[in-house]
Amino acid sequence: MKRNGIFFWIGAAVFLIAIALMTKLITNEYPFFAGYVILQFIVLAVAWSILGGHAGYVNFGTSAFFGMGVYTAVFLFKVAGAPLLVQIVAAAGVGALMGFALGLLTLRMQGIFFSIATIALTIVIETSITNWRYVGGAAGIQLQRPPVTWPFSGYVQMLFFVQAVLVVLAVVVSRYIQNSWIGRGLQALRDDELAAECTGVPTLRLKVLACVVSGALMCAAGAPAAMYLQYADPSSAFNLNYSVSTLAMSLIGGTAHWAGPIVGAILLGTTQQLLTVTISSEVNVLVLGVMLVLFVVAAPEGLIGLLRRVRDKRREGKQ
Amino acid sequence: MKRRTLLGGTITAAVLGLTFGLNSAALAQQPPIKIGMSMAQTGGLAGGGKASQLGIEIWRDDVNARGGLLGRKVELIVYDDKSSASETPAIYSKLLDVDKVDILFAPYATVPTAPLMPLVKQRGMLLMGNFSFQVNSKVGHDMWFNNAPWGPADSWAASFLELGQKAGGKTIALLAADQEFAQNLALTARDVAKKMNMQIVFDQAYPPNTVEFSSILRALKAAKPDIVYVASYPPDSAGILRAVNEIGIGNNVKIFGGGMVGLQFGAVMENLGSLLNGVVNYNTWLPEPSMQNEGTKAFFETYTKRAIEAKVDPLGYYLAPFGYASGQMIEQAIKAVGSLDQKALAKYLRENEHKTIVGPIAFAADGERKESATLQAQFRGVVDKNMDQFRKSGTQVILFPAKMKSGDLISPFEAARK
Repeated sequence: MKRNGIFFWIGAAVFLIAIALMTKLITNEYPFFAGYVILQFIVLAVAWSILGGHAGYVNFGTSAFFGMGVYTAVFLFKVAGAPLLVQIVAAAGVGALMGFALGLLTLRMQGIFFSIATIALTIVIETSITNWRYVGGAAGIQLQRPPVTWPFSGYVQMLFFVQAVLVVLAVVVSRYIQNSWIGRGLQALRDDELAAECTGVPTLRLKVLACVVSGALMCAAGAPAAMYLQYADPSSAFNLNYSVSTLAMSLIGGTAHWAGPIVGAILLGTTQQLLTVTISSEVNVLVLGVMLVLFVVAAPEGLIGLLRRVRDKRREGKQ
Repeated sequence: MKRRTLLGGTITAAVLGLTFGLNSAALAQQPPIKIGMSMAQTGGLAGGGKASQLGIEIWRDDVNARGGLLGRKVELIVYDDKSSASETPAIYSKLLDVDKVDILFAPYATVPTAPLMPLVKQRGMLLMGNFSFQVNSKVGHDMWFNNAPWGPADSWAASFLELGQKAGGKTIALLAADQEFAQNLALTARDVAKKMNMQIVFDQAYPPNTVEFSSILRALKAAKPDIVYVASYPPDSAGILRAVNEIGIGNNVKIFGGGMVGLQFGAVMENLGSLLNGVVNYNTWLPEPSMQNEGTKAFFETYTKRAIEAKVDPLGYYLAPFGYASGQMIEQAIKAVGSLDQKALAKYLRENEHKTIVGPIAFAADGERKESATLQAQFRGVVDKNMDQFRKSGTQVILFPAKMKSGDLISPFEAARK
């Protein structure tokens, strides 16, 4: 376990250094534009699986959290020209509050009813923002980026790095949860909530905690999107696509391990970006659909589950 | 351990793939002139996006048949933006940095275009707009040229309200969908009404995807307005007209319609049939004699044939000829300038009037049309289930602008419906 920990931190540091070097060495902006979207989905998928994977509460409201992140940033930028860091921290705060409210919902709702409630959450919030003129309302709002901060050469490069930091943060949190008593408690309540409660697992507290952490990370991932697009409109910010993609990424990667959503997000995110600029028609929607079906049939526990099975079989063979 | 190796491998492969794999530029001997754009091929805007793209493709084929531009073939590079704003920045960065396109065309509609404006301004690229509404007003890019006939922001509402005022209207009812385009129209309508000293007696926004309008229309009817200005999207446009047909709108309404999206598309018009009669609505091109220019007829002959194959709007009046016109304008600019220098092309486009199949086009300083050429036309004598009637002149009589006028308003609305 200890050696694993060292490797993990070294890996995280190497990842951030590589990203920082990329922003210095690569002059072509496209990798940053496309890479940003992939990193953003990694944060969303990792955050989603804290609640959806460990606790088994399927949240369809990713787009609600993401959109709130976007609009928190828009609001702060418009009202006070707040810098990016403030936007992200504030968005995380808003996300935590929303997560808290969602956590209280789990008191009364489980399974499919919880999932439906999260969709309703998206619709309620989107409608409210649509009718809020100050942040652009239905017509959307165009934003002008402030000048870029040292040491970055361009704003997109900076956003790319910031999103990479969020990735590391999300993964660290997710890994900690999985390896600590929180993760074990969440797993217990996923398998049987009643039994967990009877054996002394503080289920409500754990569920609320998972919702708060998951919500804060999702909102934080959404905040830089305002400056990335320099435009925000409710139908794009609250697009159900975020919920569906995030869910698919977590499921394809596997929710049993913190690395699952990362693998899923990289795989699906990269495929989406590549398809957009290669096939680029209705066919790419079909390709994604077929991929999902294949994974659900062939690897119901995701890529991580598949790898585990292969490894276990090999071990058996050796013995 | 293995898991970690695999994870590292996946990340490296993804990063390397993005940086190097896509970097290979096309190496042809006499390279074509590349025109890059994204277009909605899936999602809510796909119907319009595909028709618009067909218009641009017909131009490409025509210009290549004439020997191309500057002795080079013209090639289009088109990616699907899924009708979403979040896709376009990455796509246009790919077009600029990897595909190294020479000219940029904007995607169809406002939402996918809005995030591009700062990017093209920063890169000093010319952008031919495609039916977006006031995306340049805040950014102020001096190399933006919108092919749509909108003109000044308030001209849209102004032309409709003036028609109403001339017919004796004094009070207005506003009914608008809670979405980007409709709300923009409603906003300008309120300003124009104030300027024209007209009283707004009913002002209602409804959520997108509303299907049942009878209660809203009953409330509207009770307010007894003279002018009913509707800004709606295709599904709701149909819903509103059905409700009007069922419960009526009152005898004092002089004019009804204005900004209903959907009534420009063949399939929707065929479906609604006689319910359209009397409605005065905006349009961009109609088969009236005043709208025929050099090349218009030939364009629609080709379009009608290719639309079947491409499975797009069989009429294609709304967007397709303007896609073709974008191409014509760029063609004229490149021929006149003799190079692909963005600044010189922009200067030419800004300072000259351009002959296109949709009529002469001249731009104001903000890159929108100098004068509005947005039509207001009234549906007349429409029967049910007949697509071909819309190809004839007289089915949609142009009331505005004066230059293209082909008839006078029939008022009140109830009389025009018969």
